[in-house]
Amino acid sequence: MSFPPALLELLVLCLGLALLLVESFTEKQDRTLLAYIGMVGLGVIFLILQLLPPGPTGMASYVFDPVAIFFKKFVVLTTIIVLIMSVDYATTIQRFVPGISSQAGLGEFFAIPILTCAGMMWMASAIDFILIFVSLELVTISFYVLVAFMRRNASSLEAGVKYLILSAFSTGFFAYGAAWIFGVTGNTNLVRIQQVLPALGAENYSAILFGALLVLVGLGFKIAAAPFQFWVPDVYQGAPTPITAFLSVGSKAVGFIVLLRVVQAFQSLPPVGDKVVAALIILAAATLIYGNLAALPQTNLKRLLAYSSIGHAGYLLMAVAGISARDSGQAVVIYLAAYLLMTLLSFLILIIVSNYADGDEIVNFNGLSQRSPLLAFGLLVAMMSLAGVPFTAGFLGKFLVFKVAYESQQFVLLALGIITVGCGFYYYLKVVRAMYWQSAASNGATIPVSGLSFATIVLLVLFTFLLGIFPQMATGLLR
Amino acid sequence: MVTLNDYLLASGLLFSLGFAGVLLRRNIIVIYMALELMLNASALALVGFSRFHVRDGLPDYNAQIFVFFIITVAAAEVAVGLAIIVALFRARQTTRVEDLTSLRF
Amino acid sequence: MDSVAWIILFTPLVSALVITLFTQPYRKLSSYLSVAAVGISFLFSLIVFFSPDGSAGFTWIDLGIFQVRIGYLIDGLTRLMLLVVSGVGLLIHIYSIGYMQDDAGRSRYFGALSLFMFSMLGIVLADNFIMMFMSWELVGVSSYLLIGHWFFRSSAADAANKAFLVNRIGDFGFMLGILLVWSATGTVAFTELTHKWSSLALGSTFMTVAPLLVFCGAVGKSAQFPLHVWLPDAMEGPTPVSALIHAATMVAAGVFMLARTFFLFEHSPLALGIILWIGLITSLLAAFMATQQSDIKRVLAYSTLSQLGLMVAAVGLAAPGAGIFHLFTHASFKALLFLGAGSVIHSLHHEQNIWHMGGLQRRMPITFWTFLVGTLALIACPPFSGFWSKDGILAASQGNFPAFCAIALVTFLTAFYMARLFVVAFLGHSRTEHAEHAHESPRVMTVPLILLAIPATIAGLPPIASLFWRVSGHEGSPATAIIVSLVAFVAGVLAGFALYRSRDKDPLNIPLFEYRFYIDQLYDQLVKWTQDLLAGICGFVDRWIIDGGVVRGLSGMTWGTGFALRFLQIGNLQAYAFLFGLGVVVLLYFILFGVP
Repeated sequence: MSFPPALLELLVLCLGLALLLVESFTEKQDRTLLAYIGMVGLGVIFLILQLLPPGPTGMASYVFDPVAIFFKKFVVLTTIIVLIMSVDYATTIQRFVPGISSQAGLGEFFAIPILTCAGMMWMASAIDFILIFVSLELVTISFYVLVAFMRRNASSLEAGVKYLILSAFSTGFFAYGAAWIFGVTGNTNLVRIQQVLPALGAENYSAILFGALLVLVGLGFKIAAAPFQFWVPDVYQGAPTPITAFLSVGSKAVGFIVLLRVVQAFQSLPPVGDKVVAALIILAAATLIYGNLAALPQTNLKRLLAYSSIGHAGYLLMAVAGISARDSGQAVVIYLAAYLLMTLLSFLILIIVSNYADGDEIVNFNGLSQRSPLLAFGLLVAMMSLAGVPFTAGFLGKFLVFKVAYESQQFVLLALGIITVGCGFYYYLKVVRAMYWQSAASNGATIPVSGLSFATIVLLVLFTFLLGIFPQMATGLLR
Repeated sequence: MVTLNDYLLASGLLFSLGFAGVLLRRNIIVIYMALELMLNASALALVGFSRFHVRDGLPDYNAQIFVFFIITVAAAEVAVGLAIIVALFRARQTTRVEDLTSLRF
Repeated sequence: MDSVAWIILFTPLVSALVITLFTQPYRKLSSYLSVAAVGISFLFSLIVFFSPDGSAGFTWIDLGIFQVRIGYLIDGLTRLMLLVVSGVGLLIHIYSIGYMQDDAGRSRYFGALSLFMFSMLGIVLADNFIMMFMSWELVGVSSYLLIGHWFFRSSAADAANKAFLVNRIGDFGFMLGILLVWSATGTVAFTELTHKWSSLALGSTFMTVAPLLVFCGAVGKSAQFPLHVWLPDAMEGPTPVSALIHAATMVAAGVFMLARTFFLFEHSPLALGIILWIGLITSLLAAFMATQQSDIKRVLAYSTLSQLGLMVAAVGLAAPGAGIFHLFTHASFKALLFLGAGSVIHSLHHEQNIWHMGGLQRRMPITFWTFLVGTLALIACPPFSGFWSKDGILAASQGNFPAFCAIALVTFLTAFYMARLFVVAFLGHSRTEHAEHAHESPRVMTVPLILLAIPATIAGLPPIASLFWRVSGHEGSPATAIIVSLVAFVAGVLAGFALYRSRDKDPLNIPLFEYRFYIDQLYDQLVKWTQDLLAGICGFVDRWIIDGGVVRGLSGMTWGTGFALRFLQIGNLQAYAFLFGLGVVVLLYFILFGVP
């Protein structure tokens, strides 16, 4: 088939722009229709991705390998689920966005994630620092808008400003690092860099390492690695919840693919590559400790999920730090797939429950098992998977990550990982305890769930188990 | 004769200036300007590298393309960023960082 | 043949899933589903019983070095156990319909019961250690759920936790044992292991330690000393559960596992010796404890402990066949006794104290007679089934005089405390109003009693027993064994009758037995002493040690760190930028200059 893969990003971009156009020319139409169009459009993109075989693209800065395909599918799927969440979240958006009509701003709220999705898809294929930089910024800038979207809500604005400043800060480091890498190697293309690195003189090692570390800092911000993670809890808590989910799944995933590609490129020069790995180990250790310990005293579920997302970044970094092991990339991919399932599941249920209970504290979940058994069961599965209980997707991810750490002989990280899994059990089970053993404070009615959300929850639960029970499925993800 | 090191020194100074500005200034708008300084530092470094990476008698234009993109992206970032800061000012009547601490712990 | 084993295994799983997911609100339907599932398993077990040996399987999880195979292995041992588990299971499921009639959580109960059947059949069918271990853990989970079925009673919730935690200790050893065996031989499949283990040329320490670690699993699950403490407390669960799980099947899983993996043990006399004496100590201690209990289910629980000890001792005597034979007869008569006790408890409005019973023989004739059959079988009265199997164990201990004496003593004690139980609870006059108004249980409960009374009576008779199980060396059972066993039995029964006939309270008062040798207290004390000691050593951490031991202390410490970490998250943007910058500088410093 002679379908140029890069056309996909353009299609997604056009889809987003078309939605914006439709939005501005139809005033009476129900805005949620736009979300459904978006979902269908992205569904079509997903199908095309399913059919396209990996192969050469004829472009130097753009690849279409199995990993890129996986991540493209990943972000498209994430965006679809984020749109489903956004429909559930629409009432909250309407409350906090000023406008003449009651549905002002909803159109943008459904269209901008699709533009973000295009950026993420580009990132998945980008192997040139210029393209990486531009697509990264496309993602980041649209997230500025989305995080601060609720203009009448002080938390959302505060989160937006924090994200804006700190993200721009990290971009500064990234660009400066990329500049230095170019300065030393004369290239911005990762493939070329990988080729010229071995011929580099020893006097340039410090300079290239300086550049690589700064790039690492910039990416560390995206994936929420300690000590660049301070924005995460505040921004996650303040942002509209679907956007929080998007940040924690999509933004993090594409951060990881770029990280993988960059780290891989530097492995061709062992003196530098080893130090990059050493830096990754430090980051991974700090992230594991910070994410898991700071999560312990949390009482707000949204914030708890923020810390847990930091913790999971730690496990993923463990796998990246084990780049010398054969299955490192595979472990990252499968971990992320599991992470997508369980995180989106938690956020989806969080949105439904907090919309109803008007709050996202853990106490709002008290007695959920009696009120809405399905929601409680879904969240139970999500929490079990996040904690890494056997026969869930989360366990498979952790198992593979630990295996990679073991094969690459990162025993300190391995020990740290196992200890922090213990911490994880404590705070995830806190949620389960609230749902199953605490009785509801008030308002014991069943929480209404829309058909689409219901189906999504069931599917996510199903796949969480399938991936955990038949791990062979996961290895098939990378054809 | 201006050497590559001079460019890098200037760009390093610019970067540090921006870095310090982010850490020390209290007004969000000024912090934002400092952030732009950091981006400009990398632009300067890239241009410097480009000037001294001579290929076939020509400077390496690849880096300069990168610079163009950095400038464009920075412009887009400023547009959105300022809009958010204005919205913040309208909601809270402040642009001081100390006032933005309702989300914490 | 191939599909039959899978049907046996997976029908209960399907039923468990359907009940938990779909039929939760329809209690009746749930109970029928569960009964139907175990009925199917039983029918197919019958088919397997008359089919030849076989094994098959497939690879379930394949992650390179780590493979999990699901497979079954059918031989004489499997056939017998399948029949015991599904047969007794079926009767108890039917009985549960009556017993749990008024329970609001009936769907939950039957769901867990089906899950239990699945996992127990998984243990029986497993052809490798990994599958067995997974089923083993699932059995633990379902036992936890069932003991804690009435979780609103704190005693039930505590008992469930205790059972789960104590079993974890044993399972940890089991897991280590499996890992050792695997690392030494590179396989976990039983048939392969049988060949490889005997040709393994490793030090005798290893050949002793690895089997003993595997034995730890049996110590936990079959409630052997010193991990026996959970079983009596487990009687907090509904009585059919006590009958099925904590008398007939699950607790026997340990013995079954020992018989299945006997090839590990037979080369190490030391390991066998340890197993023998752990079994005998358990048996003796439990028999003594049983003489002073006043709760009908607890008496039966201790007698279960005691009989399990005998089975384990039989394995220790290198006669696993005798142990399995006893397991087989024990499953029928102990299930019968428990169901009989349940019938009494049910009709006396949940009265469990034998001193509040009495005079039941006229009011509950079926329960009375079937209970009598069970009692006679348990106390090894010829020709009831228990006589033959206990005699087998006694005969196996001929060459070992101390063991022989211990088993004889256990026989005497068993006869004594069962006579006591029977006389006090059933004979004489009614001591309370409830007992006076007792009435026979509904048919759904009495029919299983009658059906169980049949095997309890005849299953031991040599012509019938040989259909099921060939006990090697039993034919030439020496006269001494039979005589000693008979003397002990008669003496025990006479003593019991003489002491307890028409008494209203216990003439004997031996606190040591009543309080179970203070072992539970000792464990509690042990925990407390450790705490006090640690508190003395480090005064400043004193608070968190007394406050619940090391575990909570550690979690408190991590929690404290987490709490402190929160203060990095002060909400100020510039502080974040500062920490970010600091992170960059530190990272650059370490990587560029710090790491050599």
